Amino acid sequence: MRAVPVSSESTVALPAGVALHARPAATFVKTALRFRSRLTVGSDGRVADAKSILAVLALGATGGTLLRLSAEGEDAPDALEALASCVSGLVE
Amino acid sequence: MSHSHELAKGLADLASQVAGAEVKVEPAGGGPGGSLGTSGDAVREAIARADTGQGVVILADLGSSILTVRHLLQGKTNGHIRLVDAPFVEGAVAAAVMSSAGQSLEDVARAAEDARGASKF
Repeated sequence: MRAVPVSSESTVALPAGVALHARPAATFVKTALRFRSRLTVGSDGRVADAKSILAVLALGATGGTLLRLSAEGEDAPDALEALASCVSGLVE
Repeated sequence: MSHSHELAKGLADLASQVAGAEVKVEPAGGGPGGSLGTSGDAVREAIARADTGQGVVILADLGSSILTVRHLLQGKTNGHIRLVDAPFVEGAVAAAVMSSAGQSLEDVARAAEDARGASKF
């Protein structure tokens, strides 16, 4: 029996002084790629596929920015938890 | 793969720095003596350095770089080494990140090709 797809959202702030660029962005995307759910990250009214490095880079999110994370799929809760934890722990 | 040694080297450095040490990004650029040009031998050597058994994706800048790679891959039909039709910089960065996340050759190649539709801002 398949689990019912779950959809959930959370908001997390980028650490001060850490922009979502280059290595931090790749760390974020690599975390997202561990999950099957459809994952997005939103900032400043824009939304990007969390599994696409180019889309995440194009957000241009700077340190301290609030990111809206959303997940849809069987592993959505785990994915959101992992992404939020990843963002909080990002370093330059 | 580029006509320019510096362009190939610079892009390999950039993609490696973004994606991390888990993925091998190997430059093949320029002709003999540092001139602008293309070299099948340089590509062959770069493929050998990059290949860890999971496959290799090749990005080329334009024109005769494409011809050089295609000529080199003629007869190699098992799909283990793939030339992708992708934007040079964005495609390389997207492919390197996908590869460093342990994704399949198919997904790495698709990420490079999908870079065509990506907005920069």
